Amino acid sequence: TSQSKQMGLQEVIPGLTSARAAEILARDGPNALTPPKSTPEIIKFLKQMVGGFSILLWVGALLCWIAFGIQVAQGVASAFDNLYLGVVLALVVILTGIFAYYQEAKSTNIMASFSKMIPQQALVIRDGEKREVSAEQLVVGDMVEIKGGDRIPADIRLIFAQGCKVDNSSLTGESEPQSRSCDFTHENPLETKNIAFYSTTCLEGTATGMVINTGDQTIIGRIASLASGVGNEKTPIAIEIEHFVHIVAGVAVSIGVLFFIIAVSMKYKVLDSIIFLIGIIVANVPEGLLATVTVSLSLTAKRMAKKNCLVKNLEAVETLGSTSIICSDKTGTLTQNRMTVAHLWFDDQIYSADTSEEQTTQSFDQSSQSWAALSKVVTLCNRAEFKPGQENVPIMKRVVVGDASETALLKFAEVILGDVMGIRKRNRKLAEIPFNSTNKFQLSIHETEDPNDKRFLMVMKGAPERILERCSTIMINGEEQPLDRERAEAFQTAYMELGGLGERVLGFCHLYLPEDEFPDTYPFDTDSMNFPTSNLCFVGLLSMIDPPRSTVPDAVSKCRSAGIKVIMVTGDHPITAKAIAKSVGIISANSETVEDIAKRLNVPVEQVNKEDARAAVINGMELKDMTTEQLDEILINHSEIVFARTSPQQKLIIVEGCQRQDAVVAVTGDGVNDSPALKKADIGIAMGIAGSDAAKNAADMILLDDNFASIVTGVEEGRLIFDNLKKTIAYTLTKNIAELCPFLIYIIASVPLPIGTITILFIDLGTDIIPSVALAYEKAESDIMNRRPRHKKKDRLVNEQLAVYSYLQIGIIQSIGAFLAYFTVYAEQGWLPNTLLGLRVNWEDDYYNDIEDSYGQEWTRYQRTYLQWTGYTAFFVSITIQQVADLIIRKTRRNSIFQQGLLRNKVIWVGIVSQIAIALILSYGLGSVTALNFTPLRVQYWFVAMPYAILIWVYDEIRKLFIRQYPGSWWDKNMYY
Amino acid sequence: MAALNEKKTCSQRMENFKRFVWNPDTGQLMGRTLINWVWISLYYVAFYIVMTGLFSLAIYSLMRTLNPYTPDYQDRLKSPGVTLRPDVYGEGGLEIYYNASDKNSWEKYVTTLHKFLSAYNTTAQHANINCTSEKYFFQKSFLGPNKTKYSCKFTSDMLENCSGLANSTFGFPEGQPCLIIKMNRIINFLPGNGTAPRVSCTAQHDDFSPLELQYYPVNGTFNLHYFPYYGKKAQPTYSNPLVAVKFLNITRNAEVTVVCRVIGTGITSDNPHDPYEGKVEFKMRIQD
Repeated sequence: TSQSKQMGLQEVIPGLTSARAAEILARDGPNALTPPKSTPEIIKFLKQMVGGFSILLWVGALLCWIAFGIQVAQGVASAFDNLYLGVVLALVVILTGIFAYYQEAKSTNIMASFSKMIPQQALVIRDGEKREVSAEQLVVGDMVEIKGGDRIPADIRLIFAQGCKVDNSSLTGESEPQSRSCDFTHENPLETKNIAFYSTTCLEGTATGMVINTGDQTIIGRIASLASGVGNEKTPIAIEIEHFVHIVAGVAVSIGVLFFIIAVSMKYKVLDSIIFLIGIIVANVPEGLLATVTVSLSLTAKRMAKKNCLVKNLEAVETLGSTSIICSDKTGTLTQNRMTVAHLWFDDQIYSADTSEEQTTQSFDQSSQSWAALSKVVTLCNRAEFKPGQENVPIMKRVVVGDASETALLKFAEVILGDVMGIRKRNRKLAEIPFNSTNKFQLSIHETEDPNDKRFLMVMKGAPERILERCSTIMINGEEQPLDRERAEAFQTAYMELGGLGERVLGFCHLYLPEDEFPDTYPFDTDSMNFPTSNLCFVGLLSMIDPPRSTVPDAVSKCRSAGIKVIMVTGDHPITAKAIAKSVGIISANSETVEDIAKRLNVPVEQVNKEDARAAVINGMELKDMTTEQLDEILINHSEIVFARTSPQQKLIIVEGCQRQDAVVAVTGDGVNDSPALKKADIGIAMGIAGSDAAKNAADMILLDDNFASIVTGVEEGRLIFDNLKKTIAYTLTKNIAELCPFLIYIIASVPLPIGTITILFIDLGTDIIPSVALAYEKAESDIMNRRPRHKKKDRLVNEQLAVYSYLQIGIIQSIGAFLAYFTVYAEQGWLPNTLLGLRVNWEDDYYNDIEDSYGQEWTRYQRTYLQWTGYTAFFVSITIQQVADLIIRKTRRNSIFQQGLLRNKVIWVGIVSQIAIALILSYGLGSVTALNFTPLRVQYWFVAMPYAILIWVYDEIRKLFIRQYPGSWWDKNMYY
Repeated sequence: MAALNEKKTCSQRMENFKRFVWNPDTGQLMGRTLINWVWISLYYVAFYIVMTGLFSLAIYSLMRTLNPYTPDYQDRLKSPGVTLRPDVYGEGGLEIYYNASDKNSWEKYVTTLHKFLSAYNTTAQHANINCTSEKYFFQKSFLGPNKTKYSCKFTSDMLENCSGLANSTFGFPEGQPCLIIKMNRIINFLPGNGTAPRVSCTAQHDDFSPLELQYYPVNGTFNLHYFPYYGKKAQPTYSNPLVAVKFLNITRNAEVTVVCRVIGTGITSDNPHDPYEGKVEFKMRIQD
């Protein structure tokens, strides 16, 4: 009959004409969500060009060109050096900019490929005939047909529906399928039954409807635009790096300006002073560092992707590590997202069933006859079926046609009995009344598989209290016994207990129809119900729950020891939510809510001291009436919080509440309506499997396996990278002093320049790059999941201790070592240290070609310059050698290197080898290229700074030893970074 | 993160800064209490004293390893540099530009030469011995006064016409100026491999008539007995031998670029980077 109805409908409604549809399409635009406005590529690129240290380097390059201009006008022979230096500095900025841009683009591309969808098709009636068109072509007024499995192509008002159910979870968070009909049932479009929404899924049945909203006008579209309205906040690591850049730039500019003033007041020419200023800037800026940070972050991102955390925004890697509150969804994230039989009650006893992900057997006692009867009811009174062709698939993974509870029962029966479909075939079904909300039961009548037993078996399941009403007996140990008051009370206790666990309980009963009253040929009629439906025999109860993932309790306890608060936010019933929270440890075994305490002490809730309750279960309705202060109070006072029955909009309020506590908040979400909260969160985590595209778009990270435990491994990686970045920065900053001191000594003591600007760039962008990346591979020093998350305002990436220790201690030792090499080279070539002092003006005089050295020999300008380059090379080599020691000591901040193991991080050794190899190549391979200012160095000069390298190592070991020995002491406070 | 993004007003920033400089609640000056400052300063003073000590020790032992007479290496002094006197530089390098009839224009050259040659008068050279041998003057042991080695005399009169003794204007007013070529000292350097190195000057562009030159001492040679040089400590009174060149036929009112090379085995003058290695180049223009 439905067929004819539909045919009729089609005749009545011919749909739009193609011409009219085209007109409306032209007016309204295609039926697609406008993608969030992305920054134009060129802006992104330019941002990289001026971000970080770039401005400082641009200033340096500009000063170079100014100096070049002046010198050319004055006819100075070496003017072109400045031009080249300016070009090199500009190149450095541009290349690092391109590199950073490329890295960003690469991680964005991963996302782009991820979110790409197959174009959706829709079945539309136009010009009186059905045709398939791309969903983008739909316009308001179109008639579309949908069937089970389809995604709804637009907001649709239904004019015909048969058994239509939709999954609105992505929109409203309700995980229950919603039935849809043509009836207008509510003023609120979100509540009324006759509207189906864009991007939700039709689970079963068929429907025809008229498109009422398309594209951005749809409910989803409006939420999506709301999400893009929530601004992108700066990530914690971005703030840290900015802070670091400020420190370094501050040091560079103030030293630069200070020495510019000193130079000018020492009667240096302004032009010379400008050139000094350039040198100081170049020496102070760790040119390669930001690129290194990017590489380290992307390495971690790769590692995380392997562990199922796909990071969209590189900086989010660290954000996850500093997370202090995780607001997690329940369904799918903490739980397996499938109903599973958790408990059984028969023979007056509760049995637990295995709810793990890979169950193959059930171990409860199955010897009782009652179980045999119960299993028969469970098997037969069930309409769910496996899709064919899945014999080799594990039972738990098979696809089932049917609703969630029936699926759970089917799988449960299949695990225990095997071949459910065969059993059903042998017990042929004669009649059936499907479940409906008025009866609240489901019933079917079967032949029995025992050929000698001619009785029919009637089986029934449904809401336990309704089932019990229809029973007069109860099966105990396979015997039917009268259902007296005592038995009924036992039933009530069991029902309450299972219900209290947040489980959905179903009652099962049966009746063997007497053979004489119901012979073989008896015509069962389900409409008139010509068979008994009371005085049945109660068999048992089964309770189901969406069980927690087995890895979650462990992950939650890890979060707890890591000082991360896990808050559950769910649309589910408070009891279920609380039960799951308890079973995964979000509410720990011995904590109580205010209500629990009230119940235990038998006093009204108001009299309970709220601070006694560690846990709190907040209902969405309560949340609605709360002021901001009240919410803050809850978030501060309770360490274990569950928000139940919350609407997705309330999620945003909760996130904002957490952020007011200065917490770094991670939020998980899958629905479209979660996207504002995901955007608002410091790190939004979308579900890779269950997540909607809108959620994935709004999120910073995508959890490929939807598993909460993956978040925890992500946190671990994030914390590790923060520690390792600290090490990288400490490593990189140290040598800046060794690069800076030469200029200061040069200005003040007027010695020949110990190291050139170009040479400095070779350290910053050559020898130091691979070692600083190698530190990203360093293993954690201790269990980083056993300490509190860093406080985003107090625990800085670059703190005073780090800067001071690197600059004023290790940096100074390095400078001394390098200066020793410098003085050694000059002394052994004829220029003793005392001769060098004050020599600068004559030394740099192009017209002075017979300067006497300490031994009376006379040098031309070029011979001196060549010696100066040898000095550069020796200084460079000494810094490199000492950076090897610096690299080794930076492996740990507290532990001894020997505790950490010298060989555990192989990449460090790659770094050391690369460092030395690059230095060798520069000195011996490119020593003849005059523009690079390197010379082949005598072998022994490589070892001059070696004692200082050893001193650095020993000194740092002593520092760490005292830190370990005297925690909390003056030493610890001042020397631990 | 909302809290972090709140822009602080200027007065708030000032207030925060004041609090950082002096926090009356905790008695902290720039983030530390006074006693804490004392401790940290003491630590750094001690640290730097130790570091300075280590550095001084290293420099001291470096000095101990050095030979006081000769440097350990002469990697950059393979071939001596050559310089010109008078050494007056203009925009394009060494330039001898003057007007023969204008005393002011050449007086500075003459003064420079006189000043330079004052180190070569007999009183200045009296400590040096007369050498007559035409061979290298090797000295194994320190036979000179105060444990030194002897240096050979080079007096300005050896430059004959260019000594500035007979003609105190070095021929400048006549348009036939004397210029002096000096070779840089390098310890233990033996130029010429047994043959005395000599100076040879040529005009770079031979557009004009070939240069007519007169060298002093004869042939423009540096006598071998001035070599090897044993260093400042061994030969405190050593002075470089010189060669004077008298230009006899410089074309008037034209710029002449002259290159003077020292020719001898072991003296190279083809280093593209070093214009003063083994040769000196200069421009001359004499106006009427």
